[in-house]
Amino acid sequence: MAVLVALPAVDFVFAAGDEPGKYLDRRVVIWNLFYKMMTVAFIVGSVVSGTIIWQVWRFRESHPKAKPTSYEGTDW
Amino acid sequence: MTLELQKPRPIWQIMFSTHHTDVGLLYLITSLTFLFLGGSLALGIRAELFLPGSQIIADSMTFNRIFTVHGTTLIFLFIIPFASAVGNYYVPIMVRYKDMAYPKLNAIAFWMIPPAGVLIWLGFADFTWYATPPYSIISAPGPAADMWIFGLKILGVSSVLGALNFVVTILKCKHPDMSIGQIPLLAWSFLSTSLIIIVAIPTFAAALLMLLTDRLGVSGFFNPALGGDPIAYAHLFWFTFHPEVYVLVIPAIGMMYEIIPRFSRKPIYSYNSGVFAFVMLSIVGFSSWAHHMYATGMSFTEKTVFMVGTLAAVPASAMHVFNFIATMWNGRIKFSTPMMWAVGGIALFFSAGAGGVVNSAMPLDFTTHDTYWVVGHFHLFVMGTIAFGSIGYLYYMFPYVTGRMYNETLGKIHFVMAFIGTVLVFFTQHVLGLYGMPRRIYDYPPIPEWIAMNQIATVGAMIIGISMAIFLANMIYSAGKGKPADTDDPFGLGGKYYYPFEAKNPSH
Amino acid sequence: MSGHSNWPEWIYVAVVIALMAWVGAEAWETERLIEHVPEDAKIIIVTGQQWFWTFEHEDGTKEIGELHVEVGKAYKFEVVSKDVNHSFNIHDYVVLMDAIPGRVNTVWFAPDKVGEHDIQCREYCGLIHYNMRGTLYVTEPSS
Repeated sequence: MAVLVALPAVDFVFAAGDEPGKYLDRRVVIWNLFYKMMTVAFIVGSVVSGTIIWQVWRFRESHPKAKPTSYEGTDW
Repeated sequence: MTLELQKPRPIWQIMFSTHHTDVGLLYLITSLTFLFLGGSLALGIRAELFLPGSQIIADSMTFNRIFTVHGTTLIFLFIIPFASAVGNYYVPIMVRYKDMAYPKLNAIAFWMIPPAGVLIWLGFADFTWYATPPYSIISAPGPAADMWIFGLKILGVSSVLGALNFVVTILKCKHPDMSIGQIPLLAWSFLSTSLIIIVAIPTFAAALLMLLTDRLGVSGFFNPALGGDPIAYAHLFWFTFHPEVYVLVIPAIGMMYEIIPRFSRKPIYSYNSGVFAFVMLSIVGFSSWAHHMYATGMSFTEKTVFMVGTLAAVPASAMHVFNFIATMWNGRIKFSTPMMWAVGGIALFFSAGAGGVVNSAMPLDFTTHDTYWVVGHFHLFVMGTIAFGSIGYLYYMFPYVTGRMYNETLGKIHFVMAFIGTVLVFFTQHVLGLYGMPRRIYDYPPIPEWIAMNQIATVGAMIIGISMAIFLANMIYSAGKGKPADTDDPFGLGGKYYYPFEAKNPSH
Repeated sequence: MSGHSNWPEWIYVAVVIALMAWVGAEAWETERLIEHVPEDAKIIIVTGQQWFWTFEHEDGTKEIGELHVEVGKAYKFEVVSKDVNHSFNIHDYVVLMDAIPGRVNTVWFAPDKVGEHDIQCREYCGLIHYNMRGTLYVTEPSS
């Protein structure tokens, strides 16, 4: 079943872009992909680095709310 | 854990010793020497590129030789020997054995490095660290090229011998009371990388010999004029050197696994996922090599296969980042110098990985391949992640090795300057690549954006250079005249840190 | 080690895998689109050698270091090399293909505006690699 659905679909996508006189602009397609990925990368990156920066600030030992971890003083 | 501190001895006693800490010290000093040698070449490159036209390097041949030796030196003569140094010091102790499994082999593996380094530096080849055929066969001047080939051959044998030694030490010499699931993650990282080396390096060893006979004119493996195919070399080379990327990065991550829990005063969040991610990386690392070759005319199918193989390595790397963040969470973190380097390394690890994902997306290769984007990307890995982890670990082991404490303030200044410099140089180089500047060029046309960004990068490189000078002074001075360290707790973290196999509380 | 549940990590790994699947799918789709060469593309044979580019048009005219093409037509480059590896690159049009001796690699593009663009070599090829440059002239269609 899956093959029956997939084969015509694959056929269809490979046939795209054959209209004469109208060409794909590779600059647009490639840079679009690049900007899309950069958007995601910067969002993920700001979450990851934001988390690291926040925890570096919050869990430093000189932070007013810093308290000993439950492992300190034990044989961990 | 404390290393055995030994009384000062005549240098020849250390040189001819086979004890693991002595060999470790030799590795350490050799690798740092080459770090400074290779780093000064980098400063030369950056100074040359400050402006279009010829600055301090007389001609393009000299420039080509400089970046070739810069890359070869820092990868093979700094990063790998540095990891061996750490492994030599720590792996036997971590598996509770008196020495490496084969001490003499260990010393032999080390003593292959200096002659190889001499060959590479006296030759000063010009065909890039990739030794690109057919250029390296028909155009590269000898004897520099041949000396490079022999140097790399020796280094390959050395790292295979070292890797065999680590595998046997960890698997066969660990204390009978310890299970494999109890050795610390740093030892796991050496087990994984050693297995990668044993599988990957022989391919390159064969390719090097073929390159040599091609240069001698008696064979034509990679020479199209004799019916060979340069792409075959590309496959052989990258089959070794893509996994080699993981050989470089996994020990650095292992070092961060030592530093981060200790300075967070918490155990590792998940030991099991750390082990799993190491093993995954070392297996999946073998499925992505041809992503370096998208532009050589590969078919759509080939590209797809290697893109999927590359993306498959991302979850395992991301697991390490998660593990670090979760370990620091709710800790009470002391930001001594080693911890600053480790955390800085993780932050840059993400950026390096994200740039790698972009590279592996096949159409984006048209914009980034062989531009400064690639240079920025892999330097973020080797400098931002691997060197950061390594230097942090060097600060961490310094009191255990010398019995003295380094200067903490200078260590922090070193970190801050190197971090700013790294961001300036390598993030700028990413953008420079998007503007289309090819890598490995001696001179460039006066395009205003290119000039501006090259200048930012050069300034950043100089900042790194100054910070490294501070580092060198700190290390040399403190090794001789630093404050004596309390080797039970040199960083004032309070209490003892136990490895899993030493813990009395079985759940941690 | 063990002893606590690890569900946050599993969710995190699932998110990473989903992101990578998205990256792969987007890249696959884009690559599929740009690999499809239009049937009426004119062929230009690009030859790289140390250290200049030669272009041969379909009608047999040859140019060295300069390439003249017309707006609104599609061109397919057949990139070859006479000596060592080069990489044919028109960065403004995101055209990049290695010139490998013994192989014919193809890449196509369709210029859409009149202008001048840099052509450069992006694979290390020796002494004057840094100056293995050319110029692309995109002109109005002649007919």
